[in-house]
Amino acid sequence: MKKRLLIANRGEIAIRITRAAHKQGMLAVVFQSEKEPDALYLNFADEIIQASDAANEKPIFLDAELIVSLALEHNVDLIHPGYGFLSENPDFAQLCLDNGINFIGPSPQLIRDMGLKTVAKSMAIKAGLPLVPGSDGAINDAAAGKEFADKIGYPVILKASAGGGGRGMRIVEKSETIERNFKSASDEALAAFSNGDMFIEKYLQNPKHLEFQIMGDKQGNVVHLGERECSLQRKHQKIIEEAPSASVTPQMRKEMGEMAVRFAKAIGYYSAGTIEFIMDEDGSYYFMEMNTRIQVEHPVTEMVTGVDLVDWQIRVALGEELTLKQEDIKINGWAIECRVNTEDPQNRFSPQTGFIDKIYFPKKDFIRIETGVQSGSVVTPYFDSMIAKIIVHGENRPDVIEKTLAALYDFSLIGLKTTVPFCRTVLQHPDFVDATYTTRWVDSVYSPEMLENEEDEMIAALSATIMYASEYLQLSSDLPTYKNDALNVWVLNKRLNY
Amino acid sequence: MGTTYVYKRDASRLFIALRENGKRFKIYIPKDSKPVIDGVEQDIDFIEQEDFHYAFDWKGKRFHCELVSRDQNKAVVKVNGVEYKFSLESLFSYIRHGMIDKDGKQIDENNIVAPMPGKIVDIFLSEGDLVNEGEPILSLEAMKMQNEISANCNGVIRKIRVQTGQSVMKDELLVEISSIDE
Repeated sequence: MKKRLLIANRGEIAIRITRAAHKQGMLAVVFQSEKEPDALYLNFADEIIQASDAANEKPIFLDAELIVSLALEHNVDLIHPGYGFLSENPDFAQLCLDNGINFIGPSPQLIRDMGLKTVAKSMAIKAGLPLVPGSDGAINDAAAGKEFADKIGYPVILKASAGGGGRGMRIVEKSETIERNFKSASDEALAAFSNGDMFIEKYLQNPKHLEFQIMGDKQGNVVHLGERECSLQRKHQKIIEEAPSASVTPQMRKEMGEMAVRFAKAIGYYSAGTIEFIMDEDGSYYFMEMNTRIQVEHPVTEMVTGVDLVDWQIRVALGEELTLKQEDIKINGWAIECRVNTEDPQNRFSPQTGFIDKIYFPKKDFIRIETGVQSGSVVTPYFDSMIAKIIVHGENRPDVIEKTLAALYDFSLIGLKTTVPFCRTVLQHPDFVDATYTTRWVDSVYSPEMLENEEDEMIAALSATIMYASEYLQLSSDLPTYKNDALNVWVLNKRLNY
Repeated sequence: MGTTYVYKRDASRLFIALRENGKRFKIYIPKDSKPVIDGVEQDIDFIEQEDFHYAFDWKGKRFHCELVSRDQNKAVVKVNGVEYKFSLESLFSYIRHGMIDKDGKQIDENNIVAPMPGKIVDIFLSEGDLVNEGEPILSLEAMKMQNEISANCNGVIRKIRVQTGQSVMKDELLVEISSIDE
């Protein structure tokens, strides 16, 4: 009997996992949410479970109890959580296991540990990973604060140990102002949280976001599949990712990769995981956190390594031993992923909902499209704005940038605005071309005028004019004294010849 | 007379598209040739039209345009995913509103006067016609020679002050043109 794999997710990742299930000869089971009853992923599944979530505030994908009870009812063997939703919820993973359902991911305990930043960091220290220099405990007077900040170097960030929401937070540029800032931040914290204790950490002004993909099995084998750079973000969410990173030398890749593997082995990690680093302008890097799920940007790693990560997640969950050997994993060429979000880059990335009248994706053998929508789909306000991903492979970085740009020009969507023009602008910007962009790029460099160009503007003027002219000329022809026999022969001829 | 003029008389096909940032396009859509934008014929192919969607080919590239919104003479068009806002006017309404250029001054009427005394033997254009700079408007015979009198700018012929067969004095007003140049 075929195994039954339930996908507790939607959108493009549900289709991606369906493909992986079929590769393993399994049946893909999905939920039909009433919040999105005509979703594209439903067309690919072998079985659809109706979920009555219309009246609920949270969709089926966030309802752990309901997912598991429906899974049991439908004799599901495995559950893949995808990304987001319950993918990093240890209680959900535990609930699956408690009910005899194989959860595709690491152990619930590790999901829990990695979700708690302080626990994850102390485990990272034990495995010898570098952390952003900072005070181990709270500091409660300005002189001690100055002494510590002078030691780790400026700029530093002061954070209220009881704090949050930016209160009691200061970025200090130099030694001369540390004591004054410490006092004011501490007073603020005291007033707000009745606790004036402060943490001091080195502040990275223009950091890059790097992450290493690892894959481990239940036998204790772990390999890394190189890094991804995900520095291009807006509102702390990634928009463009690439693999490898131009900021990582082969020596660093080896060093950081070994570090990632050592960490994963030390904590007994299995399944796919991502170890995130933050990198300073001088090339020094620090452990940030570990993600215990498959990530949105996993295809760039798949493109350059040829390894099917979702397939391996399933195989590892079944207890298979990794046949991947570190020495066999080679980085081949370069890959870029652009996220297609229905957001308006001309208006602070505000989300767009409604109908996709028409969507057209570029087709080339070096382009991979992961989409959760098609022409006629509806983008609802219930889920996030990412509708598709365009992933392009090239021989090297300049080649992949050129190919990606061409692919983005080939893409079209009628009905809603997307992040695609933004991605085009980024790909042509010198900061991206020379790979110096950081996580602050959108805030410090980007402005919506950068999306415009003179050719597009002229064509826009022409379209607006043709539209206006056809009405204007028709209107004029109704007047008895004015003779006009065609609204526009240039237009009509082209239409007939088309 | 081998010159081909971009403006083909019918002034009702000339429009002004003004962007909110002040940028202005003069767009002429002739009956049976390619569009003329700011006086230059552009090799733009019209590929398809469907509802509020146009596609063009230009410089080897495909341009997808979508009419996003329309309110009277204001339109928002999306090209390659980016929106551009325009207000549109026919040449006549544009002239009626006063052709205010960037410096805020009214664009002059360009009057054409007889360069020498003579007789009008032919008039090629009519009032309201769009005329190109250097395009002959009428023929003036003087000392047994026929002289073509041409437009001194691109514009619309507002008034023709003379008739065929009429004799004119030197410096007599022949034609008034509203320039569309900037």
